[in-house]
Amino acid sequence: MKRRTLMGAVASIAMLGALPVAAQDGLTVAMSWANYQEERWKIDESGLREALDEMGATLVTADAQSSNSQQAADIEGLIARGVDVLAIVAWDSEAILPSVQKALAEGIPVIAYERQIEHPDVFYVAFNPIEVGRIQARGLVEVQPEGKYVLIKGSPTDQYAHYVLTGQKEIIDPLVAEGKIEIVGEQWTEGWVPDVARKNMENILTAVSDDVDAVLASNDGTAGGVVAALASVGLEGIPVSGQDGDIAALNRIARGSQTVTAWKDARDLGRLAARVAAELADGTAPAEVTDRVLWDQGPKGEAQNAVVLAPVAITRDNLQVVVDAGWISREDLCAGVTEDAPDACK
Amino acid sequence: MTQPHLVNMQGVSKSFGGIHAVKGIDLTLDAGEVVAVLGHNGAGKSTLMKMLAGAYQRDLGDIQVHGQSVALSSPAEAHDLGIETIYQTLALADNLDASANLFLGREIAWRFGPFRVMDQARMRDQTAQVIARLNPHFDALDVPCRSLSGGQRQTIAIARALQFDARILIMDEPTAALGPHETAMVADLTRRLKSQGLGIFLISHDVHDVFDLADRFIVMKGGQEVGSGRISEVTKDEVLGMVIMGRCPAQIRPGPGASMLDEHGAQT
Amino acid sequence: MKLGTEGARILSLLALLAVIAVGFHIASGGLFLTPRNIYNLVVQTSVVAIMATGMTFVIVTRNIDLSVGSSLGLIGMVIALVQIKWLPGDAAWNWPLSILAGLACGALIGAWNGLWVAYARVPSFVVTLGGLLIFRGMAFETAQGRTLAPFQDGYLVFGGGIQGAIGESASWMVGLVGVALYAVTQVVAHLRAARMSRNEPVRRRVLKVLAVLLVMGAFVWIMNAYNLPRSDIGRGIPVPALVLIAIVLMMEWIGRATTFGRHSYAIGGGMEASRLVGINTRKTVFFVYVLMGVLAAVAAVIATARLNAGTSSTGELLELSVIAAAVIGGVSLSGGRGSVAAAVIGALVIQSLDSGMVLVGASSSMRMIAIGLILTIAVFADNQFAREAKE
Repeated sequence: MKRRTLMGAVASIAMLGALPVAAQDGLTVAMSWANYQEERWKIDESGLREALDEMGATLVTADAQSSNSQQAADIEGLIARGVDVLAIVAWDSEAILPSVQKALAEGIPVIAYERQIEHPDVFYVAFNPIEVGRIQARGLVEVQPEGKYVLIKGSPTDQYAHYVLTGQKEIIDPLVAEGKIEIVGEQWTEGWVPDVARKNMENILTAVSDDVDAVLASNDGTAGGVVAALASVGLEGIPVSGQDGDIAALNRIARGSQTVTAWKDARDLGRLAARVAAELADGTAPAEVTDRVLWDQGPKGEAQNAVVLAPVAITRDNLQVVVDAGWISREDLCAGVTEDAPDACK
Repeated sequence: MTQPHLVNMQGVSKSFGGIHAVKGIDLTLDAGEVVAVLGHNGAGKSTLMKMLAGAYQRDLGDIQVHGQSVALSSPAEAHDLGIETIYQTLALADNLDASANLFLGREIAWRFGPFRVMDQARMRDQTAQVIARLNPHFDALDVPCRSLSGGQRQTIAIARALQFDARILIMDEPTAALGPHETAMVADLTRRLKSQGLGIFLISHDVHDVFDLADRFIVMKGGQEVGSGRISEVTKDEVLGMVIMGRCPAQIRPGPGASMLDEHGAQT
Repeated sequence: MKLGTEGARILSLLALLAVIAVGFHIASGGLFLTPRNIYNLVVQTSVVAIMATGMTFVIVTRNIDLSVGSSLGLIGMVIALVQIKWLPGDAAWNWPLSILAGLACGALIGAWNGLWVAYARVPSFVVTLGGLLIFRGMAFETAQGRTLAPFQDGYLVFGGGIQGAIGESASWMVGLVGVALYAVTQVVAHLRAARMSRNEPVRRRVLKVLAVLLVMGAFVWIMNAYNLPRSDIGRGIPVPALVLIAIVLMMEWIGRATTFGRHSYAIGGGMEASRLVGINTRKTVFFVYVLMGVLAAVAAVIATARLNAGTSSTGELLELSVIAAAVIGGVSLSGGRGSVAAAVIGALVIQSLDSGMVLVGASSSMRMIAIGLILTIAVFADNQFAREAKE
């Protein structure tokens, strides 16, 4: 019930954002969402709006509703309206380029939010997807430094899944070379569908006669499928990774059937974007922005200014973090936890 | 007349998207009588009969069966009134066998929860019997209709009409797909059914087919009646003239669809 | 012994299945034809196979349902919502109630599709393509994209996991009762038909019963040979397999023995003819979709119990597997032809390919290629076969 009222409050804030806001004397930041329907952007917006409110700045938003042309029109409208900084969650990172150039030509700084837009003059603000993979692999290696590993990868057509794999490999490959870790099976998961992950895991278990020590699953949904498959052969409890901090996954961590999830608190990213926007609007050179790095991990390999946020590794030992952040209720987190409860459930 | 007509249609009309397929037709049928419904393709005969069969709903007019006005809003309602139809297209489901087609829509079945469970053994048995009466050489009872010959398919369609104790039978071009031998069989059958007291509508575009079988006739053209009367009052040539030219001979009362003749005998 | 065309089709599908199984068994170094893998295969196939039985009816009436994957997702979310969020406490009747809610939701979804297709006369491709989007969107909206977990323990039985099989002795009982019931129906059918003009020879009926005895015995024996982890206790028949078997028997019975089934086939073979003989074609098509919706709900129970979670992405792309299963099973997209049993074997063929490729370590892209090829070749072979049968 508590969650529903929270959602209602967030939704009504979002509605206000959609209304035309009279230009004030202070800073005006525009946000062009790719598809505001997706749940997480509401959380991003709450962080962004909160930080801008504190600065006395104004936020105006537009939602492209999964359409290239709508997003182009949105951006034109926002430029015409006169904004100081333009943040974009690109629906299509290639098709958006003409609109981006238009904004840059008007002298408006552009921030690519979470989804990279490969252009040297665009400032990139995101959770580091490669770090996600590193967190997952580190989480497993810590508890299972050697043995037989299975890789349940994300959707093969999703660039994000490849970033995650890059991070995983960074940690795992040296250990494989040393002969400490052996990869006994790996499969992609079309569409990140949990049931596909479960079937793949079941079949890999058959192929290796259950001789598995740890499973690197790329997100919490696939981890759910993996844990179900492990449970049906009595292997529940071996190390399994994930990402997103799904309620079900956090509950699995509390119950001991998942080891780690790479948690991205979207509100943090929203706050970060507000800070970067303020700095850019003040005339700070992009290369001088606080915590700025050069990011060149995109498909084209072009370097651009960026601030990347590290996701947080959530394990049994720091579950309290997600509870304190209001991300999950203690009741949801600890549902079904009986013996050997983690600290957060005591 | 004290006895009501078996079928009595008054002012029946039907149009499809502004085109009058049938316009103001009056027609009766009595028990033990064969009435030929004649006219070119597109004259409206099949549409008129489909209204009686419940396949089309009339726009205007009244249809009485046994003296009772009836709605005829569905084929099932027509079936309940004892009206059976042998369609020109035969109306068979090509993927089903003889027995399934014979009982299609009227299966022998008992209720079981939300379903009706068919008594297939009995349906097959009855199918074998009724078909054997019509065509003793028919033995392909278990194959889908699509692999049967035209005559065999026709046999199934006829058997279906006979199976359910029809009082009124509509035969739409029943011999169109048949050879001479089978045509003669259908003629025999028609006479036999007539003598059993059925009323029969015989639809045809070919006057020769029906002249010997019918007692009365109606000729249609452009959805309207050209004329109607007893077969004994007219010659084949006169009926042909009605079908082709819409010209009504003097001894027949002309309908609204007849061409008017001026005093020089020329058509207007 | 005369075999109908449908019988011949099923035999050729079983032959294809045998070739695939033996091929993978050799290629995987003896992993495919093990009790464990067969147990997994049966459970993994059940979700697609259950929906394929309904899809058979939909396609037989010359329609299509592209929304089944999304329907499954939405129904799964409704079940999760009812069981985990709405019903208070941890009462024993929570999960049965949530299943009832799921079945009702499935029937509603089917009624929605059915209304538009049968009564509003919108082409089924369009209606169900719309449904694919609508139901997936609603699945997301039910919990704003969150994953709902965990389910009650009683519910997990439907997933066929560690607690989801009925055990050795119960499996033998089920097998025995099944064979006995089949034998009784054969005897009754024989006695009834003996009074009519046509009957099957006794020898053939005895052979049928023996065949069922053999298949059932082998099935139970294999399921019992897969032990629970770290023990000698056999698992027995998994619950999803029991559900699947029950559904297949019911759907075969509906297709063969009921007027509803016969009318569905008649509509596919001749829409106009069916109308002229007085079949209520709209009502029949409507209820075909309702049936499809209810079966999607049954599949949703198994799918969510398998994952022990309701996620809005459950069942994504599943409509493709379901349609492919029916088509590989010889259900004709031009309507009027196909059988439930063959569609289920089609689902087994797809899952065997999928699992077998993982066992030999092939990538997911290779699996897609293999399944696509089989789909095309199966339909080609089936067309040739149908043409020859006609000549």
